Amino acid sequence: MRALSWLWVGLPLLGAAELGGQLWASHRAPTQSEWLAVQSEVQSAKAPEAAVVIAPSWAEPLARAAWGEKLMPLRDVARPGLDGYPRALEISILGQSAPELESWPVTQEHSVGRFILRQRENPAAPRVQFDFVDAVSEADVSETDGTEDKPCPWQPRGRAKSGGLGGHPTYPAARFNCPSGEPYLVGVTVIDDQDYRARRCIHAYPTQRGPLKLRFADVPLGTELRGHAGLPWVLVRDGGGAPVRLEVFVNGKSVGTHEQRDEMGWAGFRFKTGASPGVRGNIEFRVSSDSVQNRHFCFAADLR
Amino acid sequence: MSIATAPTRRKRFLQASADPLIALGLGVAYVVLLLNTVDNLGYARDEGFYFQAARSYGAWFELLFKDPTTALTRASVDRYWAANNEHPALMKSLFALSNLYLFEKYKWFSDAGTAFRFPGMVLSGLAVAVTYLWGARSVHRGAGIVAAVLLGMMPRVFYHAHLDCFDMPVAAMWLITTYAFWRSLDRGLFFALFVGVLYGLLLNTKHNSWLLPPALIAWLLIVHGRSVWRGMKVGRVRVPTALFCMALIGPLVFYALWPWIWHDTGKRLAAYVAFHMHHEYYNMEFLGRTYWKPPMPLGYAWLMTFATVPAVTLGLFLAGLFSGARHFLITHLRRPVSKLFARVGKTLSPRTLTRSDRRRVSAEVLWLLCILTSYAPWISTNTPIFGGAKHWITAYPFFCLFAARAFADALSAASRSLPKAAAWWRGVPLRLGLGLTAVAAPTLITLQSHPWGLSAYTPIVGGAPGAATLGLNRSFWGYTTGAVRGYLNENVKPGGSVFVHDTAMQSWDQMVKDGMLAQQVRGAWSIESSSFAVYHHEPHMSRVEYQLWVDYGTTVPAHIGTHHGVPVIWVFKRP
Repeated sequence: MRALSWLWVGLPLLGAAELGGQLWASHRAPTQSEWLAVQSEVQSAKAPEAAVVIAPSWAEPLARAAWGEKLMPLRDVARPGLDGYPRALEISILGQSAPELESWPVTQEHSVGRFILRQRENPAAPRVQFDFVDAVSEADVSETDGTEDKPCPWQPRGRAKSGGLGGHPTYPAARFNCPSGEPYLVGVTVIDDQDYRARRCIHAYPTQRGPLKLRFADVPLGTELRGHAGLPWVLVRDGGGAPVRLEVFVNGKSVGTHEQRDEMGWAGFRFKTGASPGVRGNIEFRVSSDSVQNRHFCFAADLR
Repeated sequence: MSIATAPTRRKRFLQASADPLIALGLGVAYVVLLLNTVDNLGYARDEGFYFQAARSYGAWFELLFKDPTTALTRASVDRYWAANNEHPALMKSLFALSNLYLFEKYKWFSDAGTAFRFPGMVLSGLAVAVTYLWGARSVHRGAGIVAAVLLGMMPRVFYHAHLDCFDMPVAAMWLITTYAFWRSLDRGLFFALFVGVLYGLLLNTKHNSWLLPPALIAWLLIVHGRSVWRGMKVGRVRVPTALFCMALIGPLVFYALWPWIWHDTGKRLAAYVAFHMHHEYYNMEFLGRTYWKPPMPLGYAWLMTFATVPAVTLGLFLAGLFSGARHFLITHLRRPVSKLFARVGKTLSPRTLTRSDRRRVSAEVLWLLCILTSYAPWISTNTPIFGGAKHWITAYPFFCLFAARAFADALSAASRSLPKAAAWWRGVPLRLGLGLTAVAAPTLITLQSHPWGLSAYTPIVGGAPGAATLGLNRSFWGYTTGAVRGYLNENVKPGGSVFVHDTAMQSWDQMVKDGMLAQQVRGAWSIESSSFAVYHHEPHMSRVEYQLWVDYGTTVPAHIGTHHGVPVIWVFKRP
């Protein structure tokens, strides 16, 4: 009862604390003009090939709006993963840091207003020699009708088409149109992963009659092919879809198969190319599935 | 003689009418505040569906007034009342009548949307008024005022109070019915019949009403269990008349006011019940994870309450609950408590149970049971997540009534603690000062939350930025379009169109009709046919933003609507 007899003291204290707390909470995050003001600092701090990573991630739209495509291009914003980047520039507000950069050592850090700019280095220091997503228009794409390959011609300026919340990812304007028609097409789009994050990748919808083939001729083979693959999470998160297989051939020889099941989300794969550094050759991806309903398979890969 | 009694009569009249007048003042002030802040609150997704249903019901009312015989035929009833038949009719009928008379006929309102919303605002004002009345009657006037203000100044209550939806109306009707039930205990048959009618109206407001009878039965067993048991032993059932009236009159009123169930009654009622018992799961972000299927996290309702109800209100509620529990123990459970005290070598002074003790316990047990039943569905992990605080909002007036009790305790403790020399301070200054400390923070939080009601979180979780970092739901129902209307009206040129995303097209069209959006700001169903697009953020909706990036060829929003630095809605412009 003693506690209740002190309520008259506690109430004003709690009231004052909450009032102060509200004033603090309503001004603690940077405003849009502050995001705009820090642009030049970010621009000069960003090293070549560095990804700009915002912490916490919910603030990223503000960075995109304030700094534009030059600092926040689709390629980086919807990156397949950070492992392909040699370094990152982490922009931190509210004392947050990006969990995906936890293991990357900080090489430099400075504050600008309410922002902390951290330079981080990738300890694995990758050397990406060829990015298949960037080079998709150079591919030779075909589908099969069971007996022979039928080419899917490149259409650089078509009409994009989006499926909305419960529908397919956007069929991009620039794409390979296969003879079977939509959704059998190949092009760069963005899908949602199991954390609803953006993943830029090559949409490659397999056909029922045989594998969809993407051939890249005369590329630097490196020693390893690394990639990620997935299906749009909202469409497949209840499971039940047939697995999709992605088989990789180097100069006509299979080097590995990645099997993508619905519950895997955005998943990584890596295969040895069997080539020596500096050697060039041909890479072929074959995408297939036993049942192709709702198989908006999408993958990103590079050679290192 | 008459000269001598006149002041006494006037005094008595003033005393008797003071509480109703204060209640009316509070209720009207709240409705005025709602009307003054409604302009920039975009129409939520479900409001669009209710606009449509209300228009259909409105057409039936017009037919009823012109040609009742035709209106009452099955063909007419089915034609006009089929719309949105998964919810009962009372509120949509009021929305319809408000639109017909207050907008179309008498032009009280300059736009239909506000007319549609007005009945919900009035019921919210009634909730504030009745909270005052109950607080004043159970505790005292000052405490009643604090309770009423605390209810109105809950961010989620304030948001829902603006809408043409059923959530604040059902909270209001639940409170009014319960209050009338409690008052009926020492009133006659007429009052009990009135409670029966009120329960019929509650049944016709929203399906939360199904939970009230279990609460009242539990109350009867806890508060009057012994006398009920004694009566049963001699073959007499001693149950409040109002309960019988609720059981008998309630369903009749419910039936009479919902034309859709006049035909195929069993089948249509079964469909109504089935819709809510097997409601589809919505996506809901909670602590960084999006839930879209069961099991639902048990802490969802409690943590959301903690994060969205001002701490002062919650603190006073808990203190009031504690005070009530203590009072219950030392009055109704005095014997066992005395024994417990004796075991630790303490004695409890003798005390006789007074009428006032009984009334206090009777009210407070009822308040607690109303809270528990409102939260009960969230104990089941199979209860679908299809929204947030609106689903247990019926509990909130009772939080505030407990808070009133704690406020009164604080006031009397302060009065006791102040030195005798400060006698003057014990009066109005103390009440006013303590009252202000109770309502200041909730008022600031609530006023700052507008028009971002569902994005607003209290400082205890770090406000909107803290909630975003914790991964709590930021937006729902696509209503924040109203907050970016300035940008759209200025930038969308004739011939342009805007992808509406989560805003229902009916809501969008109503915003255009009402002038909230300019005539040229046409809504578009698809991204490819649009020149602008709004994106209302929820994690599972992100894929729509990604589709926009690819289609528009840009990741850069042209405009962002933020609440306290947190992006809630962004607009893309096709380059």
